[in-house]
Amino acid sequence: MVAPDLSVELGRLKLAYPTLMGSGCYGSGEEFAPFADLTKIGGVVLKSVTRAPRLGNPVPRLVHTPAGMLNAIGLQNPGIDWYLQRDVAKFAGKPYRVIGSVAGFAVDDYAYVTEHLAARDEIEAIELNISCPNVGSEGETFACDPKLTSKVVAAARAATDKTLIVKLSPNVTDIASIAHEAQAAGADALAVVNTVRGMAIDTNTWRPRLGNVTGGLSGPAIRPIALLAVYEVARAVTIPIVGQGGIETLSDALEFFLAGASAISIGTANFTDPRIPERIVDGLAGYLSERGLTSLRDIVGKAH
Amino acid sequence: METLSTPARVFATTVADRRECAPGVVLLSLSAPELGRVTRPGQYVMAVPPGGERAGTALGIYDAGETGISLLFFVSGPRTSELAGLRPGDALDLLGPLGNGFDLSGDPRDVGIVAGGVGIASVLLPAIALRRAGARVRLYYGARSAAHLVEAQRFADEGCEVLLATDDGSAGHRGYVTELIGRDDAPGLLLACGPSPMLRAVERLANERGIRAQLSLEETFACGVGGCWGCVVPIARESAQAPNFPPASAGGSDAVNARICKEGPVFWAHELRW
Repeated sequence: MVAPDLSVELGRLKLAYPTLMGSGCYGSGEEFAPFADLTKIGGVVLKSVTRAPRLGNPVPRLVHTPAGMLNAIGLQNPGIDWYLQRDVAKFAGKPYRVIGSVAGFAVDDYAYVTEHLAARDEIEAIELNISCPNVGSEGETFACDPKLTSKVVAAARAATDKTLIVKLSPNVTDIASIAHEAQAAGADALAVVNTVRGMAIDTNTWRPRLGNVTGGLSGPAIRPIALLAVYEVARAVTIPIVGQGGIETLSDALEFFLAGASAISIGTANFTDPRIPERIVDGLAGYLSERGLTSLRDIVGKAH
Repeated sequence: METLSTPARVFATTVADRRECAPGVVLLSLSAPELGRVTRPGQYVMAVPPGGERAGTALGIYDAGETGISLLFFVSGPRTSELAGLRPGDALDLLGPLGNGFDLSGDPRDVGIVAGGVGIASVLLPAIALRRAGARVRLYYGARSAAHLVEAQRFADEGCEVLLATDDGSAGHRGYVTELIGRDDAPGLLLACGPSPMLRAVERLANERGIRAQLSLEETFACGVGGCWGCVVPIARESAQAPNFPPASAGGSDAVNARICKEGPVFWAHELRW
């Protein structure tokens, strides 16, 4: 029997497998090379880059919490100029698709960084991180306002023809309306969702446990929140969705596909076991074969 | 400090022995011959949680040899509780060996090892390596009380001179472990692992007396392999361990964030800018 087709198209970007490694969780991919089969992942979303260098937040940047973790890295990155000169060339020739991630604090920043990053052959698509919860109120401004989402996506759209994935925030009242605006402004795909805002307090010192006070919650703790967001977004848009939020097992992944995701992103689960992405891919092939299905597309959105 | 590429990978190990050294302190011996052979002093592993659903746990490699490695850890939360529940015959997957480890080059002849609390778990291997090279090794070992001092005899058996300190005076000197380091007869090199206040005290002492010191730092890890930038410490830009990063846009700082899990966990005290 022929192996089921697990490939996915996100705009012009073709993935051999429907799994992306979440931005900020996976370095450039090379860090995980000794521990994971990188020929069995669809792509890596690189760590976000901004126009100017950022040192990031003070430590502690991480707190482990029940069924998940809080992070507040604060977009540490060398800035786009240095990144283009020193880092981007290293992303050539990978067995997986390489997706650049762009963050910013103004519409102009997003347009500038997107244009320069997407101009490089090593970068095969762009994810717009308009939903970072860890850089003060500015980081999420774009993803929390439909009009600003529309503006920033349109500006990035004008800067590149490569696939544009827009990463949405769960920290909103109506994610469907924001998803709708992102599609209307030219997004090729939507990443649903970024982390959920949260905090933890040390009961000995009476101080917040993160250097940044607040952080983004990820891991299985947010899975039902993320799944509902995917389900709601799927009803509002026609472009593909990359579902993400606490996916650790085949069953978790299936839930997201059934809710309407065409692909999934795996982040925090790599910190549990870097072999989880390849296990999910193998599991998906087995699941589809057992049911006589020839393509992953046969199950996308079937919970609706 | 060199950051050699290590033969790190996922090792499937089996629990060979489990012993409680003290209440809440577990020594797990793991069958993993290859891992035992390639481990260098001061390296660590990430333990894959047997039940999933939580991040891996970074643990210093306590001992290593032909049959495998052992891990010494204090039970302090759900992740270490899960590991403490393992029994002989159980499987445990490890990512490792990770990190740079201590720099024992230059044939140091007189070394002080400063360990505080759980820090003892990362300093046996350098002690053994230095003793086998014929160096004088003094272990300055501090903990809350006598009940929290574990494995001191193991260091004595290796020929280390063991000096103890406890907060409550129930064993050895009553006070800070760094107070054990004599002014007249101080070692020429210090290796330290323990809580941050202790490491900062070692750094101060080393700076005041002009002693070279290597500190093994601890911070909450997520990936443990350099992918997430969650465990950083500012170090001098001119350090050989400094990652490639442009000068800070504000302040003209000479510091740059290094990853404790990747560029570290061991740093030269005089290069830290924390």
